[in-house]
Amino acid sequence: MALVAVLVMVPSTTALGADLDELLDESRDASYTAEQVISCSTPEGVRDAVVELTQSGGELHVVAPVDPDVEIASGYGGWSLVREGSVVSSTNVQGTDEEPKPRYTIDDGAETEYLGRPATSYRMIGEGVVRAELVVDAEIGALLKVVTFVENGDLYCERRFIAFDPEPPTFSQASTGSDVEFSVSVVDSDLPGSLAGFERLDVYKDDEGFVFAYYSDGFFSFAVFETPAVVVLGEGSVATFAGGPYARSFSPGQVTFAWETLEGGMALVGDLPPDMHQEVLDGLPPPQDPGLFRRLWRNLFG
Amino acid sequence: MNHAGELISAYLDGELARSEVEGLFGHVGSCGKCSAELEALQSVRSAVRSLPQLELPPGLIPEADAEVIPLRRNRGFLVGAAAAVVAVVIAVAAIFTPSAATISVEELNSRYGARASLDPAFGPAKVVVPYVVDLPE
Repeated sequence: MALVAVLVMVPSTTALGADLDELLDESRDASYTAEQVISCSTPEGVRDAVVELTQSGGELHVVAPVDPDVEIASGYGGWSLVREGSVVSSTNVQGTDEEPKPRYTIDDGAETEYLGRPATSYRMIGEGVVRAELVVDAEIGALLKVVTFVENGDLYCERRFIAFDPEPPTFSQASTGSDVEFSVSVVDSDLPGSLAGFERLDVYKDDEGFVFAYYSDGFFSFAVFETPAVVVLGEGSVATFAGGPYARSFSPGQVTFAWETLEGGMALVGDLPPDMHQEVLDGLPPPQDPGLFRRLWRNLFG
Repeated sequence: MNHAGELISAYLDGELARSEVEGLFGHVGSCGKCSAELEALQSVRSAVRSLPQLELPPGLIPEADAEVIPLRRNRGFLVGAAAAVVAVVIAVAAIFTPSAATISVEELNSRYGARASLDPAFGPAKVVVPYVVDLPE
C-alpha cells in the first residue's frame, strides 16, 4: 500500500517509462507565457531571434519584439498572421490521424533546475545518436529548453526560455480578415511515402494549385511543396547536392529549399538539422532546367 | 523593255537600284517616248521643288498626319527587323520579368505552420519566427 502511494506522488514527467510522445503531448497542453531565445548554427552562419510565446490549450501565439504589431497564432491545424489585431492571412488544414513510427527514444532523465523551477532534462536518442536535449518543467510539463544536434554531436539549434510565467494567459481576439482564409483537402500524390526515415503523414491540394505533403519522424518535420510557379527566396545561398543546385535559406529554427523543375517549382520547409538535408533532398525530384522555351511559355501563359 | 513610265517615276523618287538605273538609261537612250517623258517629268519636278514651302494650318488635312507612305525599296527588311526587335523585347521581358504566379516563402510558411500545429512536437520546439516584412494592410 505504501508503495502505491509513493508511485502516485511521482510527477508524471519524471522517468517511469515515459516516452517522447507523452512528454510532447504534455508540453503542448501546458498553458504559460514565456520569452524564448532561438539561436541556430547553420552553414550560412548564426540565425537567432527572441520571441514572446503565449500558449494555452494547444494554441500558440508568437510575437517578435522587433515588430510587436505582427503575431502568428497557430493550433489545431490553423495558422494566422495577425497585424494590429486583424488577420491578414490564414491557412487551415484538416490533418489526419496518421502518426509516424517512433524513431527516437528518451532516456530516464535527470532532475535539474531551470529558471529557478524544478525540471527534468531528457536526452532524445535515435539510432544511437543524441539528437536533442529536452528540459521539461516538473510542474506543468512545458518544454523550457530544446537543444537539437547534428549527427556528429555539434549543436544545431538552441531554443530556451529566458522568462517564464506558468499562469494561463488570455488571448486577445483577432478580427478575421475578409477573404484570405481557405482550407485544403487530402489528395493522392506521387511524392514518396517515406523519405530518409521520415514518413509522409498527409497530402494536401488547394485551389491555387499548391500540392504539399507533410513528413515527420516523430520530432523533426518538414513539408514538401509542388507548385505551379517557381518559389522565390528573398535571401539565402545556393547549396549543391547530388541532385544539383538548390536555393537555400535559413531562419531561426527553420530551413527552406527551393528549386525549379520541368513542371514548375518545388520547395521544402522544415526544422531539419543540416546533416539530414542531403538524404531527404536526394529522395525528391531533382532540380531541372526547363530550358528557354519552356520557361518562356510558362512565364507567358502560366 | 516596253514603255518604262513606272521605272522613270521610281528613278525620280530615288527608289531604283544601281543596276535598275543602268537598265533604264539603256532603254531611254533608244526610246524617244520614254526620253521625252523623263525630260518632261524632270522639268515638272524641278518646277514644283522651286516653289516656296508653306506651312499648312493645323487640322486642315487631319488624315495627312496618319498616312504612312511605304518605301518600295527595303520594305521587307525593315518590317523583318522591326518584328525581330519586338520578338526579342517580348522574350527578354518574359524571361527576366518574374512571373505573376511566383510564390513567396510566406505562403509556404503558412501551410507548413498550419500542418505543424497538429504535430506532436508543436510548441516551443517548432516556433516559426514571424517574418518582419511589408504585409498587406
